[in-house]
Amino acid sequence: MNNIALGRYVPGHSFLHKMDSRIKIVGLIIFFVAVFLTYGTVVQNFIMYGLLFLTFFIFIKIAHLSFMSVLKSLKALWVMMIFLLLINTFAIKTGELAFDINGYEVYWDGIIRTGYIIIRLMLMIMLTTLLTSTSKPLDLTFGLEWLLGPLKLIKVPVHIFAMTISLALRFIPTLMEEANKIMRAQSSRGVDFKEGKLKDKFTAIISLIIPLFVSSFLRSGELADAMETRGYDPNGKRTKYRRKHWKMKETLQIVGCFAILAVFVLLAVYKPDFVSMVQGWF
Amino acid sequence: MSIKLKNVSYTYSQKTPFAFEALKNVSLNINDHSFLALIGETGSGKSTLVQHLNGLLLPTSGEVQVNNFLLSIENGKRKYVDLNKPQGKKYHKKQFNIKDLRKYAGLVFQFPEYQLFEETVLKDICFGPKNFGASEEEAETMARQAIELVGLDESYLSRSPFELSGGEKRRVAIAGIIALNPSVLILDEPTAGLDPQGEREMMELFKRIYDSGKSVILVTHNMDIVLKYVDEVIVMKDGHLLTQTTPLKLFQDEKFLANTAIEPPFVFKVAKELIDNGLNIDLGKIKDISSLVGEIGRVKHE
Amino acid sequence: MEEKIAVELKNISFGYSQDITNIDDISFKVKRGEYLTLIGHNGSGKSTIARLITGLLLQRSGDINILGETMTDDNVLRLRKNIGIIFQNPDNQFIGSSVRDDIAFGLENDCVAEDRMEAIVDEYSQKVGMKNFLDKEPTNLSGGQKQRVAIAGALARHPQILIMDESTSMLDPKGKRGILDLIHRIKKEDENLTIISITHDIQEAYDSDHVIVIASGKKILDGTPDEVFNNSQRMIDLKLDIPFFKKLNIELENKGLAKYKSNSLESLVNKLCR
Repeated sequence: MNNIALGRYVPGHSFLHKMDSRIKIVGLIIFFVAVFLTYGTVVQNFIMYGLLFLTFFIFIKIAHLSFMSVLKSLKALWVMMIFLLLINTFAIKTGELAFDINGYEVYWDGIIRTGYIIIRLMLMIMLTTLLTSTSKPLDLTFGLEWLLGPLKLIKVPVHIFAMTISLALRFIPTLMEEANKIMRAQSSRGVDFKEGKLKDKFTAIISLIIPLFVSSFLRSGELADAMETRGYDPNGKRTKYRRKHWKMKETLQIVGCFAILAVFVLLAVYKPDFVSMVQGWF
Repeated sequence: MSIKLKNVSYTYSQKTPFAFEALKNVSLNINDHSFLALIGETGSGKSTLVQHLNGLLLPTSGEVQVNNFLLSIENGKRKYVDLNKPQGKKYHKKQFNIKDLRKYAGLVFQFPEYQLFEETVLKDICFGPKNFGASEEEAETMARQAIELVGLDESYLSRSPFELSGGEKRRVAIAGIIALNPSVLILDEPTAGLDPQGEREMMELFKRIYDSGKSVILVTHNMDIVLKYVDEVIVMKDGHLLTQTTPLKLFQDEKFLANTAIEPPFVFKVAKELIDNGLNIDLGKIKDISSLVGEIGRVKHE
Repeated sequence: MEEKIAVELKNISFGYSQDITNIDDISFKVKRGEYLTLIGHNGSGKSTIARLITGLLLQRSGDINILGETMTDDNVLRLRKNIGIIFQNPDNQFIGSSVRDDIAFGLENDCVAEDRMEAIVDEYSQKVGMKNFLDKEPTNLSGGQKQRVAIAGALARHPQILIMDESTSMLDPKGKRGILDLIHRIKKEDENLTIISITHDIQEAYDSDHVIVIASGKKILDGTPDEVFNNSQRMIDLKLDIPFFKKLNIELENKGLAKYKSNSLESLVNKLCR
């Protein structure tokens, strides 16, 4: 089982890892839509959300990722959730009275409203984490570039954004190494990056940031020279080394995604009372 | 002021699947007032070793002693012992701050130009001393001394470090460490990327620093420098310390050289070839072309 | 027999700003298939010349001819396709997120057909000895390896002129040797390839076909290695490095031992020991 630091790519060979990134992105958007639709009564909504959680759980298992670390990564949200709960229960006084704590009245509507927000947030974050953990950042960039392709017709420079992002991705490890080197050099001059008064910490950060900025500017100048001399024309025609394939598998997967979307939309439109339906079966 | 390492090992990324043992059971003694070279292929552990000398890295096992500061590990816990302080029962307390070490052993990394960041050269050089508690005046005095020592005019002090040439920036960076007045100056490939003249001037600077009473440790690939300037050589390979010896002994040990892919400087090879063919020059006096010719002259005029 | 001139500089002057002159009236010719080394102290203007030749900088006055054609604003992009340049910093010219992506970058810019790219990437990674590293990321490569990839990427575009702008300055001795050996091998395979190498390596200059010495923006010496290095005293005055035996001979002369002057170890041994 692999850990997921929120969002980082974890190498693997699962069905999700091998799926074309374009389909994964479309799939994610479809799930987002499903998360925001409403399916009738509160119970029905929570059942649907439960279904989505289950789906997520299944996908996690397929991709050999660790569910526990996903939960851990949501830790940062707990604070916000409690805060939201307090605000909503204070502001919303509709619906039935849930309970009364020393005169502070908490109504169900407030709790449910908060519940919706929290569950939707959690689902969105978890599903996005699923995407970023099973897709290499560069693949995602190419996928996004392809999907946003049509925007080129209205003169949005999608290809330039894609190049910028892929260059940034390429240099993140390099910049981290450089920051590390600078920190070591400044530590050797007596800078303490861990302890010290606020003023000292400020100086410490300046002694890291300025050299990093300066070297990054110089670096980008040299990069620009290298790209130019290798024939790069940002607005010119370029062929692509990494081609996207589209085979029967991809067609089936995308049809599947839209089928799932259709199901959710239908459920949201007709809001069938499946609680009664299931009760009826027994 | 001396530096001692006893059975020091260091592993990067311990307890992860990427763990890598960069130093394996290294022991060495660096005496007061030494001029030393640390050589070995890239990846042999030189950088890791050097970062133990000023406490940037703490050993995963073994002891490091810099002057009176003793760093060790006992039962998995780190001990910071100041040998100048009376050792009572409370020796488990930290008796010094790792930062204190860095005043004694000044470390200059490769391409140190990138560490400059202040508005003026003066401010940048003063940065180090001020971090160690020097007052504005004290720091300025040290800065003026340091800039003179590195061969730059006082007029540089008011200029911005960013408008200087690469070679000048490097000297300012080195001045920034010299201003701390360390007993040992450790430099990682200080002549990398310099032209031949720049290299010569840099080495003359280090000689001046050594002559002024400090110890100088150079990490270098340049055997000409090793032969001409240093008294001692430490050879590293795959995290092990292979030997601590003199340049003369090192370059004469052909088996050892073959095993470590070290090439003696050409002038040394020439001298050896002449000796092997009967010329009675003193190999120990050969430091560079000038001394070689001097020896030839001595022999031929006798 | 017509001897083509690959690169010609005619009275080139240039300054990074209005009030300074970094390149002062320099002219020289580089023959097709020649290995030219350009030497000079840091700041002498060597790298500036490289950038002028590739059209990254515009000269104040004078002409630059690439393969017989004078460089103008209109043809600079086209002429540049004939030139490959390897810069000094291995990291700052590595664009792709892996070796294969980086070699392919130039091919993408040249609109090479997509189904041909894989074969070209394979071929040139093989030529520089990086075939087993195709999927490696730059942070996992040494400086020497990154420069090899840069060379592959440049050669894959079939340039007629290859400029090496201090490409080995930031490498350790092993890396330096590897790159020099690679360049010599490539030169042997393609006799028509013109190489312009900006370097501090005096041995490399000695082994080249043509040496030009630059100091403070001016051309000082221009000729074969022997012609140039015979001006040893001039070079010393310019604080440049000279080959071992030239240095030795000057010292011998200065100490009254001129009769032992030699140009090789064998000859020196003979004169001193026999």
